[in-house]
Amino acid sequence: MNTILIDHFINDAPIEIGVFDVDMNFIKCSNQWLKKMGKDIQEVKGKSYYDVFPKTSTKIKEIHSHCLKGSFSSFEGEKTILPSGKIQWLNWKINPWKTEEDKIGGLIIVSEDVTHKKNEEEYRLKAQAIAKIGGWEVNLITNNVYWTKITKAIHKVSEDFTPSLEEVINFYKKGYHRKKIITYISSAISSGTPWNAELKIVTNEGVEKWVRTIGKPEIVNDKIVRLTGTFQDIDDRKKAEIQHQETLKRLSIATKTANIGIWDFNIKKGVLSCDDSMYLLFELDRDNFSNVFEAWNSAIYEDDRKRVLNEMQESLIHEKEFNTEYRIKSSNGDIKYIKSIGDLHRDENGVPVKIVGAKWDVTEFKKAELELIKKKESFAGVFDNSAVGMALVGLDGSWLKINKSLSSSLGYTSKELMKLTFQDITHPDDLVVDLKLLQELIEGKRDGYQIEKRYFHKKGHIIYVILSVTKVSKIDGNISHFISQVVDITSRKKAENKVKSVLKITSEQNKSLTNFAHIVSHNLRSHSTNLSMLTGFLINEEDEKEKKQIVKMLSDSSESLNETITHLNEVVSVKLNVLGKLEKVNIVDVLNNVRKSIITQLNDNNVTLNVKIEKTHCVRVVPAYLDSILLNLLTNSVKYRAPDRKPIINITTRKVNNQIVLTFSDNGLGIDLDKHRDKVFGMYKTFHKHKDSKGIGLFITKNQIEAMNGRIDVESKVDKGTTFTLIFNMN
Amino acid sequence: MKKVNSSCIIDDDPIFVYGTKRIMKQVGFCENIYVFENGLDAITALNKMTDEGRELPKLIFLDLNMPIMNGWDFLEDFLKIPNHNREDVTIYIISSSIDPRDIERVKTYTVVSDYILKPVTPKDLHNLLVDVA
Repeated sequence: MNTILIDHFINDAPIEIGVFDVDMNFIKCSNQWLKKMGKDIQEVKGKSYYDVFPKTSTKIKEIHSHCLKGSFSSFEGEKTILPSGKIQWLNWKINPWKTEEDKIGGLIIVSEDVTHKKNEEEYRLKAQAIAKIGGWEVNLITNNVYWTKITKAIHKVSEDFTPSLEEVINFYKKGYHRKKIITYISSAISSGTPWNAELKIVTNEGVEKWVRTIGKPEIVNDKIVRLTGTFQDIDDRKKAEIQHQETLKRLSIATKTANIGIWDFNIKKGVLSCDDSMYLLFELDRDNFSNVFEAWNSAIYEDDRKRVLNEMQESLIHEKEFNTEYRIKSSNGDIKYIKSIGDLHRDENGVPVKIVGAKWDVTEFKKAELELIKKKESFAGVFDNSAVGMALVGLDGSWLKINKSLSSSLGYTSKELMKLTFQDITHPDDLVVDLKLLQELIEGKRDGYQIEKRYFHKKGHIIYVILSVTKVSKIDGNISHFISQVVDITSRKKAENKVKSVLKITSEQNKSLTNFAHIVSHNLRSHSTNLSMLTGFLINEEDEKEKKQIVKMLSDSSESLNETITHLNEVVSVKLNVLGKLEKVNIVDVLNNVRKSIITQLNDNNVTLNVKIEKTHCVRVVPAYLDSILLNLLTNSVKYRAPDRKPIINITTRKVNNQIVLTFSDNGLGIDLDKHRDKVFGMYKTFHKHKDSKGIGLFITKNQIEAMNGRIDVESKVDKGTTFTLIFNMN
Repeated sequence: MKKVNSSCIIDDDPIFVYGTKRIMKQVGFCENIYVFENGLDAITALNKMTDEGRELPKLIFLDLNMPIMNGWDFLEDFLKIPNHNREDVTIYIISSSIDPRDIERVKTYTVVSDYILKPVTPKDLHNLLVDVA
């Protein structure tokens, strides 16, 4: 080989090659190497390798000197730092060359730049480390197992751990996972089938972990000699995935249970799809329809179809959500209300791609709603048109709403009444009870109450009502308002009062009649028995003198009987038809007349008469009765005067409401009221020994006053005097 | 027939008193007959008898309706007489009243033996003597 050719060969070699002398000085160097070094041949020729590459490691230097002794060396992946500072990965091949004398003349060094390759490898390893992908290998001839670092890390075993095939299998979780890996390995060995599976292992630390295991058999001469593969930790992803699936499953159970149909309308394709729930919801058989739209179309009410389709269209045009209700025919012919909502989904460019929605049965809800509306309407109808007064009353007593009946029975217009509270129109005597009950209602002690109470009519008169109050609760249990029902019972009450007063009169009359009957029977009997007794004596009496005495007694007795009958007659006539004979008379006038008629008697007994009667005081009486009353009181005062005192009689009147109260008092003997109060006005009751005492005057007086709807009362102290209080009506 | 020593009539009706006295004589009822026009006179006299240590009448015929003090008030006062020989006294109410309220009221007084409706007959007195004796 000639020298020039060799020169060219070295210079132009497409590899990095250099020729060195025994002192490691450059003799020749390929252009490619120079280019990498960024140098000229003149700059390196004759210079020491170690000067050109000052950062050459001691290890390389040792190899150099070793090779200079005649050895060949080749090593891979040596990291070299170039003069420019760049890192270079090089594969080295170093040969000694020999002179013609067969002596070592120096070294030929060939380096191959594997930086690119090396980087890729490093990236791959890094990627594997990040993805937690390890590698493994099983030599089926030796049964040796090789695990990469990452594989070991995934198994949580130390780096010097070398497992057996059995140990490898035992890392898989007992049961399903272990059985599965055994199946994969055996079928790979027996029939060369590769596998790719996600299984669970239990690490050396006892933690369960999801892994992806990929295995591939290697075949040499139709024989499977090795299994290689990867081993990836997918625990985080798998757990997330399982969780996601569980969520989906739950959602699916939820929608199925709630009978919620999920639907999906693909806008581009114009296709509507649905899950099975929709068919269940619509009570349709999926097999009877070629597509979902057809099924939907058959179920929906004719009247609602067009509207719903329009709404769908609207929501597409305006790109807004979809929310509607429509009716469908259920299999038994009933109407079912369906609520359907949909949400627009857009792609990454914001273009609407589909509407996803849900639909469910709202029939029950709808029915309740319709029922409520009906109730509200019927309540409003009852409220407005009821003959019973009704009001919705707020917690503060103000009217929220009142009906016509209420305002009209109280004499107000609705507007006027709305300005008042129920407290304003309630009779003050009834307010306390009403408010007390209302308070109990508010405090939850009762659910309602009913009372009879009085309101004031606009004109001032009393309206009797039966008030029923019930409370209306809000959804949170607190009271919203009250419903008051007011039944006007004024006319009923008036009738009732009338009946009551008639009953009172009747019972009083009945009582006085019974009394009267006894009085009559007693008084008549005493005379009749006397008469019969005396007659009996007379028949048998022989003695003329005695006979005369008996006849005298008979005469007295019949006289008494006559007198008694006259008295009784008087009493009866007092009570008869009095009211038709009432006249308005002036008291002073009447008194003066009476006084005149007994002036002699008054003067004889030195009676002082003090009269203080208003001249205008008139009363509505039977004039003869008033005469008789005043006469009786005056003569009584004279009759029962105290023997040791000059008689003084005071007569006064005063007006109370529509009545005249006449007070008549004397300073006479008085009556022991502790003993006789209930007998003072009784028939034939006398309290003093007096020849004219018959016990008839006060009895008649009381009867006369009461017959004129008046009253008489007495106060008296023995030996001090007696005061009669008489009450007369003015009208 | 046994006689009663003394008896007492309290009644404001002189005719009744005359008649009763006459019948008493007829049946030979008793020696002494006291007569009072009203309750007050009677109770005053009875109190006086007690004070003087004299024996009270064995029998009292009492009217109810009398002026000044009626039969009821007499009964109240009679019960207040210091316990001399009051318990030996038998009281009969003699009245014209057929008012059931009166008859009921009489029953509340244990001191009263019976209620006799006027007029008094010889037969009434006869029965009465049998009871007392």
